[in-house]
Amino acid sequence: MTAVTAIDSQVQVDTDAAISVRGLWKVFGEDANSIIGSPEAHLSRPELLEKTGCVAAVRDVSFDVAKGEVFVVMGLSGSGKSTLVRCLTRLIEPTAGEVFFEGEDILTASKSRLRELRRTKFSMVFQHFGLLPHRRVIDNIAYPLEINGVGKDARYQRAREVIELVGLDGYANHFPEQLSGGMQQRVGLARALAVNPEVMFLDEPFSALDPLIRRDMQNEVKRLHKDLNKTMVFITHDLAEAMKLGDRIVIMRDGDIVQVGTPVDLVMKPVDDYVADFTKDIPKSHVLTMGALARAARADETVSADPVDADLIVRKAIPRIVNSTNPVGVVKGGATVGVVGRDDILHLIADDADEGSST
Amino acid sequence: MSTPTFVDTLPHWLRKRSSVIVIVLVVWVILATLLRGVDTLELSTATNTPVTEWFRELAASIRGSRSEAWIFIFVFNPIRAFIQGFVEVIRSVIAVPGSGDVIPVIGWLGVVALVGFIVYASSNWRTALLSMGLLTACGMLGVWIDTMDTLAMTMGSVLLSLAIALPIGIWAGLNDRFMAFIRPVLDLAQILPTLVYLAPLALVFLVGIAASTIATMIYSIPICVRITAHAIRSLKAGPIEASESMGSTRLQMLRKVQLPMARRTIILGINQTTLAALSFVVIAALIGAPGLGKPVIEALTIRNVGNGVVAGLAVVLLAVMLDRATTAAVQHSAEIPPEGDALIRRRIGLAAAAAATIGAIALSRYQLWAAVFPERLVIGSYIGNAADAVTDWITSNFYALTIGLNQNFTIHVLNRVEAVLADAPWYLTIIAISILAAIIGGRFVGVLSLVLLTGVVLIGLWNDAMVTLTQVLIATAIVMLIGVLLGVAAGRSPRVERALKPFLDAGQTLPAFVYLVPVLALFGPSRFAAIVCGVFYASPVVVRVVADGVRGVPKDMVEAAVSSGSSTTQVVTKVQLPASKKSLLLGANQGMIFVLAVVVIGGFVGAGGLGYLVIVGQSKPELQGKGLAAGLAIVLLGIVMDRIAQAGARRNEKQPT
Ligand SMILES: Nc1ncnc2c1ncn2[C@@H]1O[C@H](COP(=O)(O)OP(=O)(O)OP(=O)(O)O)[C@@H](O)[C@H]1O
Ligand SMILES: [Mg+2]
Repeated sequence: MTAVTAIDSQVQVDTDAAISVRGLWKVFGEDANSIIGSPEAHLSRPELLEKTGCVAAVRDVSFDVAKGEVFVVMGLSGSGKSTLVRCLTRLIEPTAGEVFFEGEDILTASKSRLRELRRTKFSMVFQHFGLLPHRRVIDNIAYPLEINGVGKDARYQRAREVIELVGLDGYANHFPEQLSGGMQQRVGLARALAVNPEVMFLDEPFSALDPLIRRDMQNEVKRLHKDLNKTMVFITHDLAEAMKLGDRIVIMRDGDIVQVGTPVDLVMKPVDDYVADFTKDIPKSHVLTMGALARAARADETVSADPVDADLIVRKAIPRIVNSTNPVGVVKGGATVGVVGRDDILHLIADDADEGSST
Repeated sequence: MSTPTFVDTLPHWLRKRSSVIVIVLVVWVILATLLRGVDTLELSTATNTPVTEWFRELAASIRGSRSEAWIFIFVFNPIRAFIQGFVEVIRSVIAVPGSGDVIPVIGWLGVVALVGFIVYASSNWRTALLSMGLLTACGMLGVWIDTMDTLAMTMGSVLLSLAIALPIGIWAGLNDRFMAFIRPVLDLAQILPTLVYLAPLALVFLVGIAASTIATMIYSIPICVRITAHAIRSLKAGPIEASESMGSTRLQMLRKVQLPMARRTIILGINQTTLAALSFVVIAALIGAPGLGKPVIEALTIRNVGNGVVAGLAVVLLAVMLDRATTAAVQHSAEIPPEGDALIRRRIGLAAAAAATIGAIALSRYQLWAAVFPERLVIGSYIGNAADAVTDWITSNFYALTIGLNQNFTIHVLNRVEAVLADAPWYLTIIAISILAAIIGGRFVGVLSLVLLTGVVLIGLWNDAMVTLTQVLIATAIVMLIGVLLGVAAGRSPRVERALKPFLDAGQTLPAFVYLVPVLALFGPSRFAAIVCGVFYASPVVVRVVADGVRGVPKDMVEAAVSSGSSTTQVVTKVQLPASKKSLLLGANQGMIFVLAVVVIGGFVGAGGLGYLVIVGQSKPELQGKGLAAGLAIVLLGIVMDRIAQAGARRNEKQPT
């Protein structure tokens, strides 16, 4: 999975991407339009608020999301994550910029085209679930099909399929208020899956759940992603969650994008102190792959017979290496890319420990 | 306070608003005493002024053009015909025989069964039984036909009101601009005393069913619009956003998301609309509404207490039935629908009830005992006689308590306040009120008071207006006293609240009109009787508002006070009351508006003032103009009082405490 990351809005849109965003702005407040392109646009958010009474929730944001990718948007509360994701499907009308879905300009799409896209291609999961309290679970899940004119039998059949998919068998006839938070969010997930969308937007879907259930649900999303291979834009303010789920992560601050990259990029090459501060508690051994750690074998080393995959996370490779004094070979697609020795891993863990003690 | 007022220019000790108010009051009382009897603009009832004369001519010309002017031929008369026809259909089903019939379509047994079935279908069998019992009791009071007429009028008005109010309310809930557009109308409707609609409507639509139905609708529609709009506006945003994200059209969103989610509150609105309509249908007997209002008015005008009590009791039973039935429907709508066995049981129950109802209706069409309420079962005359006897006994044995209380209160309180307001020169009163309005509510409210009160003078009914204002102010003061005492007690103790709840519920369900009968019986026709009615009617609302306010005071504030050694009195006076100041002011405002509505009706029980003129104008053609003008004066007075109280409450909100 590779993705073209175009940060420059002049660059040609990558038509292979599921979603491309160029120079997107959202300014809340009266006369928001006049701010784009004016000198005020360069003011920091508090300065802008002071001067014009407007809030720049999203400022000149550009990125691409590849098909099948889990793209995580991360940032502190108020950094503009929710606003950004709502701009992508125009639940919030952006102030300026461009958004493409498979090459199609979303922002100029007609109302009916937009509705069609929302009905068939996009779906969304919300922090507070957004279930309809007066409908049973099955009718909640069938709702997106219902408004699209799918007949009762067909939509119930599909609803039952997704109910099973998210592990809610037996709860079809319950009302949302009869379910726990975690189960309610499963309903939210099922509803989002019901139309078999191409892109799922998840806005802090698990923030309202307690930690154990949250971990369950994260695994659920990982499993669903593996099985269904949907493109996902996943919002969270929890770095561990971002690292666990994200193929790539974008970090936002006060409406700006600070850094886009893989979990490894963020941990190994933070662009500034803000990102470094975010990632400093993440042990490198938890994100680095063996491939990233691999080096050429030295002449005096004997490589042990059984090689490991380059995509394997270092932490998971520890049991393999702990009993051998010899380095293991690292292979990618059959070809050996290098070796990793016990010392290399110990150095890495020692680095983590150093940074841990300095906080 | 953002803008400096003249208060800021005064020396420090004078800047406190309360001390300024006291000074103005003292100066006012002294001047009023010195100038007593000068320029009071008193006018005998039979005298017309140029303005009332103009109103009389206007009324005459409207009457003359009923069959000629296009607005009547193409607008008013068709509306009248339609509404009359609509209500007559309902009446002919349950109340009066249609042309060529001897009994209504459904006799009493059928009606009782049908009501039971509807209530059962919309809630549960317990409420259904209660409703059937209450209806039968109305029959036993000997006023079955009047009860049915009132029920038919209420149903007709409610159905028509809902047909208009629900769409408007929904639109106002969805559209900010439309809401801003109709809000002033809703606000005005809330402060208009019921009595003032009647005369103008009777003039346009003739005395009778149409005019009384329209008057009832005008009264109940704003209530329904307000609650419906609120129901839509206060929905949680989450499901709506989710529904939008799935590509719902606006119509789908409304039908499948917003309306179902708002259903419970909307049904609550229907409950309120129904009770409002019932209480108005009783009053609308003044302009020809058939039903229980007629005997109540007769009882008031010829002082036939027995009949009035019986009819009033039937109104109460009907009100309780409608309230219980619609409240149960609200609860039912919030319950999770039954499933499996429970669902089957419910279906069997509904089928059986439907069969029984059809049987009862059939019986009531072919059996006399089921068609006409059997005379044997009627005990109304005993109750009437008993009420008469009790009244006689109380008035002769407790003279000191009833007439004595009345006289003492009138001499020592009423007359003194009236002396300041009504027996002083009009300009003194206007200036004093306007200055107080400016201090309490700001410059704008002061000027508004000046203008509107001058309007009352120009209409020529100044003195009567001040007589009414006196009663309103005194009754409001008493209501506030009761409201604070009981409200604080209820707010502090759940036990007191539970004990008070039935009375508060009853107070809010019962039509004001029915209070008049016993009060008149006990105290005789007097201004005092009107004040007592106003106090009875308005107290429950104020108690509720104050109790809510006291309960809303943050717990830790109270705990902090208690832990620092405050006595109970100190906690109440230093913490709970100041912290719930906003509720107190809101309560005062509500109380005043409620009191005004009743004090005006007090014209029936000898309260004089503007209400009396409205009622006299209804029966004496030469005074019709005066009645209409009095209605206008009531509106002006109501606006002044409401604006002062509202502005006072708002201003208080802004001040940091
Ligand atoms: N409708 C609105 N009107 C005005 N300002 C808004 C509106 N919605 C959001 N904002 C502002 O935009 C900024 C970004 O808000 P947003 O909800 O996108 O943040 P977030 O990153 O999702 O935060 P959280 O983690 O708390 O959900 C905030 O400063 C917020 O106050
Ligand atoms: Mg958010």
